[in-house]
Formats: sequence, C-alpha cells, structure tokens
Amino acid sequence: MTEQEVIKLINEVFIDSFEIEKSKLLPEANIFIDLGLDSLDVVDLVVALQKKFTVTIRDDERVRGIRTLGDLQQFILTIKKEIGK
Amino acid sequence: MTRILKIACLNFFFYPFFIIFTMIAFTNLGSLILLLALFLPKRKILKLLRQAIRWYGAVVIRVLPFPLIRLDYKNYGLNDPPGPYLFVCNHRAASDPFFMAVFPYEIVQIVNIWPFRLPALGTIAKIAGYLSVREMPYAKFAAKTAKLIAQGVSLAAFPEGTRSRDKSVGQFHSAIFRTALETHAAIVPVCITGNEFAPPIGSGFLRPGLVKIHRLPALTWEKYGTFNAFKLKNYVRDMIAKEVSMMDKTE
Repeated sequence: MTEQEVIKLINEVFIDSFEIEKSKLLPEANIFIDLGLDSLDVVDLVVALQKKFTVTIRDDERVRGIRTLGDLQQFILTIKKEIGK
Repeated sequence: MTRILKIACLNFFFYPFFIIFTMIAFTNLGSLILLLALFLPKRKILKLLRQAIRWYGAVVIRVLPFPLIRLDYKNYGLNDPPGPYLFVCNHRAASDPFFMAVFPYEIVQIVNIWPFRLPALGTIAKIAGYLSVREMPYAKFAAKTAKLIAQGVSLAAFPEGTRSRDKSVGQFHSAIFRTALETHAAIVPVCITGNEFAPPIGSGFLRPGLVKIHRLPALTWEKYGTFNAFKLKNYVRDMIAKEVSMMDKTE
C-alpha cells in the first residue's frame, strides 16, 4: 500500500465517519483542535481505522502520541509496513 | 467614574450578601434535608434538594446583583415536547452554573473537577448527585446519565469543558451527545452572553451589565436520530455559535 493510498483511505474515514470537509484534512491539522475530535471520538476513529485497514491498533501505545493527521498517516504506514514484514 | 462607582457598589454589596445568603440557605436547607431524610425516600429528597438549589440559584442571579447585573431570559422553546431535557450551554463564566436556575425543572449539572472542590457549593453539588465527568470512566457516566433521564431528571452540560476567553464557542466534547443518542432525550441549546463580565476570567470583580440567556427550540430525536455523536455535537455547536454571535452583536 502506497503512502497516497493510505492518505486517501484515512481521509475517507474522516469524511465518511465524521463528515469533515476534505479541505480541512491537511497533514498539519491537529485532530483535537482543528478537526474537533475528543477522546471518545478517537475511540470511534480507531474502530473505523481498524475496519478500513483491517489492522488492530486499539491497544497500541503509539496511538496516544498521535496529534496531527500527518502523525496518523505515518502511524498507519508504519503499522502496514510492520504487518508486511 | 460612574462605572467605577457601579463596579465598587456591585462588588461591595454582592459578595457579603452572597456569603451571608449562602450560609443561611445552606444551614437551613441542610437541616431541613437531614430532617426530611428520616421520613422520605432518597429519590424524593434528591428532588427537593435540586429544587432548593434552583431557588438558591434564582436568588443569586436575579436578586443579589440587581439592578447592576440584570438578566434577560428568552424562551424560544415554548412548543418543545415534555422533558427531561439535555441542556447544552456555551461557557464563558464561572457563574454559568447559577444561570441554570432559570429552567423550571429538576436538573443535574455535569461539571468539571473544580466546582466539586468549592467550599459548601461543591459539597451540596455532590450530595445533589451532580456528575464530575472527568472523574469517571465514560461507561459509568453513560449509565448514570441514562438512569437520571429515565427518572425524569434533566441534565445541563457545558461541553466546551472550559471557559471561552475570546467569546468564541470552543470545540465540544461529545459525552452529553452520546447520552442523547442512547436515551433519545431532547437536546436544548442554551446561549449565554454578557456573562463574561460576571466575573471576567482571572478576576473576582463582577462588572455591571446585561446577561442574556436564550433557550433555543429543542432538538428532538426525530431530528437528530440519524446523526452520529460527532455530527450531533458539531450541529448543536454551530446552532449555539450562530445565536451567540447574533446576541453579541445586539449588546
């Protein structure tokens, strides 16, 4: 899966599950401040991402460090690479 | 000069009377509730206590600061279905919880940690079953709020979680909206302006002015049932932000 494919799928999650406008989905956008998610929304986000990428990230400690959309994209890319190995 | 005099008068009279009234109210109320607790069931006692808090709040917001701080309450929800309701309010001042006294219902407020630490007020809030949302896991919060709604108790929340410093309406937390989706209770957006001076953040000094409270028409399950929590919180936030902006323009 390429970086562009990952970004596209993550954006789809934000658009489909949270109805956030595509124009707001910038790598530097803070998930909490700019996109308006809270800790409970993040649980929904994790569920949606797990479904979209068929991965298990719920218990991954690295999720706690994610602040921006760019962080999330890099995290999913890393996870996919780890699974590929 | 006149304004400085008004501020001095307001604070000189308000705080002593507030403290005296609070002491008298809480002493008498506490004694009465303790006495009644011997004869009445807990549910009835809680209902009485919440009613008494409303009366106390009404005096604090309508009588003690009058005429230097006046209240203008408009109810646009006259055709709302019967409660219980989820009152969702914007948050600019520490005094906001007192303004919930304008609503003639049994209400439990959802508060942050610090109000529970206030002397007397925090203790009464705890006894009245107010919920400190940050001090319990969401599952417990959901169970407690669902039980209250089932008992016919309305809830009041300030989902920004913290006071706005620039009159804007901040991002909302979704907990109360998840309660709405689980209980199907009607959501009542509440817009409060003018309260940013009662008192301003970082100051204890009240300023004279007009506090406006607009109760918007309820958003019923029929209207929001297809929304998810994220969409619902932003929908209500937009409604409140739009009204608050108009209210600020007509100061």
